[in-house]
Amino acid sequence: MAARTKLSISAVTFLALILGFLAQTIMKARLKGAQTGRNLLKKKSDALTLRFRQILKKIIETKMLMGEVMREAAFSLAEAKFTAGDFSTTVIQNVNKAQVKIRAKKDNVAGVTLPVFEHYHEGTDSYELTGLARGGEQLAKLKRNYAKAVELLVELASLQTSFVTLDEAIKITNRRVNAIEHVIIPRIERTLAYIITELDEREREEFYRLKKIQEKKKILKEKSEKDLEQRRAAGEVMEPANLLAEEKDEDLLFE
Amino acid sequence: MLEGAEFYFNVDHGYLEGLVRGCKASLLTQQDYINLVQCETLEDVKIHLQTTDYGNFLANETNPLTVSKIDTEMRKKLCREFEYFRNHSLEPLSTFFTYMTCSYMIDNVILLMNGALQKKSVKEILVKCHPLGRFTEMEAVNIAETPSDLFNAVLVETPLAPFFQDCMSENTLDELNIELLRNKLYKSYLEAFYKFCKNHGDVTAEIMCPILEFEADRRAFIITLNSFGTELSKDDRETLYPTCGKLYPEGLRLLAQAEDFDQMRRVAEHYGVYKPFDGLYCFFLPQVQMNVLAFNRQFHYGVFYAYAKLKEQEMRNIVWIAECISQRHRTKINSYIPIL
Repeated sequence: MAARTKLSISAVTFLALILGFLAQTIMKARLKGAQTGRNLLKKKSDALTLRFRQILKKIIETKMLMGEVMREAAFSLAEAKFTAGDFSTTVIQNVNKAQVKIRAKKDNVAGVTLPVFEHYHEGTDSYELTGLARGGEQLAKLKRNYAKAVELLVELASLQTSFVTLDEAIKITNRRVNAIEHVIIPRIERTLAYIITELDEREREEFYRLKKIQEKKKILKEKSEKDLEQRRAAGEVMEPANLLAEEKDEDLLFE
Repeated sequence: MLEGAEFYFNVDHGYLEGLVRGCKASLLTQQDYINLVQCETLEDVKIHLQTTDYGNFLANETNPLTVSKIDTEMRKKLCREFEYFRNHSLEPLSTFFTYMTCSYMIDNVILLMNGALQKKSVKEILVKCHPLGRFTEMEAVNIAETPSDLFNAVLVETPLAPFFQDCMSENTLDELNIELLRNKLYKSYLEAFYKFCKNHGDVTAEIMCPILEFEADRRAFIITLNSFGTELSKDDRETLYPTCGKLYPEGLRLLAQAEDFDQMRRVAEHYGVYKPFDGLYCFFLPQVQMNVLAFNRQFHYGVFYAYAKLKEQEMRNIVWIAECISQRHRTKINSYIPIL
């Protein structure tokens, strides 16, 4: 019964040990996974930030250019009004379909899809004959200036949408990186340390137990030897013949 | 055919001629323009205009002052003066006035037709019509569904009817490009006006006919210049040239054949008057000068026409200067046309 209990105890501890090692291996694997994940996300964040800065620079340039172009276009409108009179109502009345249209394409940066707008012309110029009697040249210049302004505006629109999308993506990625770095990895590390200390402790327990058992066995052995001595001294013990201690061997016929 | 207009003119039209000469004296002079050019903001412009005949016409305007407000108020002032003249006129001056307003009426009619075709609300278009071109049937335009309906119901009553009949039959009204229609109407209008002046004879013919001839030729040149590179065919182009100018008939035929700027310039050189031809702006100055010269003679109707045109040019000048100031783009601020 004691032996069986001893066996079951050792079986349990053995199982626990095995489980402990398993847990440790699993934790180590998870730590490695978290670290790799964090490195990958950091790289993604860096790539996105780089693209972000580029876009910012481009936006600043385009906005400055936009100011110039719009000023030029507004001035050419004033010139055209001076020569051709007030044609604004004619133009507004004749509007039906858009001549410049936009297509939306997708661009991929480090896994983030950014929209890119591209303009294309469709249809003929329905205002070709406006200002035929006066101011035609000014009107042509005006059309060109405003067409340029519209193209710039489309480009600016793409840049600004990418800017906003990238901003969101960078915030999310950085949040994840920080979460992994400051929450997940310490947690895993702490768990790992705890497992190691537990295992150590169990080992120490095991060691202690073994030592204790050895002591007990020694005590038992000493006790039984003492008993034997006492009984031998009392002459009750029939020692079996010691083959080696005998001087005369009965079985030998001739000496 | 009035010989010795000095005897008959003042009976019917003396008051109005005196009035219009008074108005002409209040046009902005070179000194006024110099003052305006030196203004820094639109508020300064308003203050300067208060010292001229414009007076406090902007007094009721709330801030902020914009160029379009200045424009609207100036136009209102011109209309008031013009209506006053018109209401006090007798025949044949009234017919003359009607002819003058026809050009604005043509623009308004084109606008209304466009709006009716696109089913836009008539109210908004009426606001945008030129006030000098009002005619009584304007509000009735919205009942018309197609241009031919429009013609039959509305335009037949207006003075523009004969011009429409010149241009085309009713069927073609539907397909015609609006701009071509406008130019064709203007051509018949100009020719009718010219005939009227010529028939009236006397000093009026002497003054008005050269002005109208110049206008006809100017239109011919500019239509040619602007139709390079568009899909306007040469035959179409030829139908748009008014025939009452010096260029008729040879010059117009040559112009119709012209392919580019140099050929046009060669045509211009044939006629000594148009020799210094370099594009659009060269026409403005001679016209203004002719209008100013009209005031040197008495007893004719040309003074009214000249006054209206000069006032319009002055309005354009002021608007140009105001735009340059408000957009802080002063490089071309001196490109206005000086009048006096």
